[in-house]
Amino acid sequence: MTTITATSAPARARTRAGVSRRQWVGLLYVLPAVAFVVVFFVIPLGMTAWMSLNNWPLMGEHAFIGLDNYFAILRDTRFWNALKFTAYYTVIVTIAIFAVAFPLAIFIERPRPLTNLYRTAFFMPAVVGFASASLLWSWLLNVDSGLFSPTAFDLGLTGKKVNLLATFQPAFWSIIAMVVWKVAGFTMIILMTGLQSIPQDLQEAAVIDGAGPFARFRAITLPLMRRTLALALILSVAGSILAFDQFYIILRGGPRNQTLTAVYWIFNQSFVSFKLGYGAALSMVLLVILVALSLIQLWLLRKPEGLD
Amino acid sequence: MRRNTVKTLIAKLALAAAVIGGGLQAASAETANIWVRADGSNFMPRIVDAFNKAHKDQIKLDIIPNAEIIPKYGAAAAGGTAPDALSLDLIYTPSFAAAGQLEDITDWAKSLPYFSSLSPAHVKTGTHKGRIYGLPFSADSSVLIWNKKLFKQAGLDPEKGPTNWAEIEADAEKVNALGGDIKGFYFSGNCGGCNIFTFTPLIWASGGDILSEDGSKATLDSPQLRGAIDLYRSMVKKGMVPEGAQTDTGANFFAAFAGGKIGISPSGAFAIGALNTQYPDIDYGITFLPGKDGGWSSFAGGDNFVVTKGTKKVAVVKEFLDFAYSLEGQTILAKYGSLPVRGDIAKEALKDLDPRYQVAAEAMAKGRTPYTVVFNDLINSANGPWTQMVNEVFFGDDVDGAISNAQETMQSIIDQAPQK
Repeated sequence: MTTITATSAPARARTRAGVSRRQWVGLLYVLPAVAFVVVFFVIPLGMTAWMSLNNWPLMGEHAFIGLDNYFAILRDTRFWNALKFTAYYTVIVTIAIFAVAFPLAIFIERPRPLTNLYRTAFFMPAVVGFASASLLWSWLLNVDSGLFSPTAFDLGLTGKKVNLLATFQPAFWSIIAMVVWKVAGFTMIILMTGLQSIPQDLQEAAVIDGAGPFARFRAITLPLMRRTLALALILSVAGSILAFDQFYIILRGGPRNQTLTAVYWIFNQSFVSFKLGYGAALSMVLLVILVALSLIQLWLLRKPEGLD
Repeated sequence: MRRNTVKTLIAKLALAAAVIGGGLQAASAETANIWVRADGSNFMPRIVDAFNKAHKDQIKLDIIPNAEIIPKYGAAAAGGTAPDALSLDLIYTPSFAAAGQLEDITDWAKSLPYFSSLSPAHVKTGTHKGRIYGLPFSADSSVLIWNKKLFKQAGLDPEKGPTNWAEIEADAEKVNALGGDIKGFYFSGNCGGCNIFTFTPLIWASGGDILSEDGSKATLDSPQLRGAIDLYRSMVKKGMVPEGAQTDTGANFFAAFAGGKIGISPSGAFAIGALNTQYPDIDYGITFLPGKDGGWSSFAGGDNFVVTKGTKKVAVVKEFLDFAYSLEGQTILAKYGSLPVRGDIAKEALKDLDPRYQVAAEAMAKGRTPYTVVFNDLINSANGPWTQMVNEVFFGDDVDGAISNAQETMQSIIDQAPQK
């Protein structure tokens, strides 16, 4: 009895020491990544959280004011309006992106002549930065020297040059068109990898069983693409909720402040009104909303029980 | 062969050492960094070049887009990388000084022999609690410009600009009748800064105002404002204004007239220098922005020169400002688009220049500057109440609603402003 304890105790200790040494080595390996996350994510996030509790002007002294910024948000109707518009934009643009990207993904999934050319062509706008794309489109949409309005006028389609950016509907849909042009290629690639990961024999078996193309799409393709869809959806929704560049550069939030997004409002509060503390508080609220939305999407698209 | 390579190598090393040594020596002259907003992009590089050529100390100039210079400066100041000095839109000087961001230059300013003849509007906004933080650098007044060639084509007297609102509309209509790409009138319909500069003088000249004298009350609901709005609306309705005006956030404020296809446009003194140097083919006239039945007014704008608190390059910055205040400096400024800011030598600085400057200089002398600590929120912000209102009242359907909405929003911004 005594011998057993005498021999087993040091052995256990040795194992523990070995495990902990291995853990330390492991930690060493991930250290660069951890340092990266801490410096570029955790510290800025903590800083933002701290700023949101202060009255923090762009210049001059700041003072701790507790939760006052958050109480002010509750009364800030223009922020809630901006949030409402952002939600509307997110729904519309996400539907539009998927409506374009899914057919494109199906089109380019299987090898056929010129597939690589199509893939490259569809993907190309995705590598353009949002700001540069916005500048490009703000010229295309310009009523006097752009492309669309003058061309329509010259072809006799319109009686006079129509200023597309002057009223809400054409301005809003112009932005949607621009974003779809810019983003659909990226979503297409994600969806394509999902399509390609579906084993061919499943489809063939279904064909033998007499399933039509629509039934196969609904019963095989969609369920097996669950994870890919979740990824594409979360990327698209998160990107749309954070939309700013295109509304700032092309529309300046107009016509008549009808296209102010949540991030645009945060930008205005921080860098036009110079209330950095309040801007930080708005950012924290938006962060919470974004995390909640992402969790809901993950939950909705989770793997159903029993399905491998 | 090998020895030769070694020799060349040694020679190269020696040369490199000499270059590095020389570079170190040159570095003993100081270089100060200054910023200017894009409005100064015509005259500022010229005066900096002239200074750099004549001095051992150097100035490094950065030109920043108008809308970005304030946030960029604030961020740079917080990060300790602010420029040593900047040419700052004069309306911002009080809030910068109040934030403790600027070097107190009172003693130096008062030691200048010509201090008393520096532009009073600038010095007033550059003064905070009795201390001076900003001195005038560039000046700009708002005026009306017209295209003489188009006036002639339209059968108008090319030497006579409009002197009241009815004449503006009548002249613009005649030019507009030339047809084709030619339009009668232009203004940036979605730009708050442009319209405070060129639209409010129409109201002032008719006896109205948009803010009370101390900036504590918004006074938008006036017949003078309504009248000026009706003038613009009528011209828009008759198709005398290009479609692009409705969404112009200021990008075309000057460029539209410079294209040579606009009859009349409210603009600024800066346009004289810019047109003469960049568009010498345009034949234009300059007159005052008139009131409804005559009279005139102008916005006194421009930049104050301010020094960042704690900078080590104060000596260089002062050297540069001394140069800018010299007759040579004032002449360069005037030649490339700013009015002189030294009253005592203004006539001399302008004497060899375009006589049209005299109109602008006279406008400057009688010009007004609205005073408010929330100028950015009220007026300049692309999403602020003033910008939204001008766009709605010039192009929208509900003028009364737009005015009362703006009145309410402006007043609430003023009421919520920090009391300084």
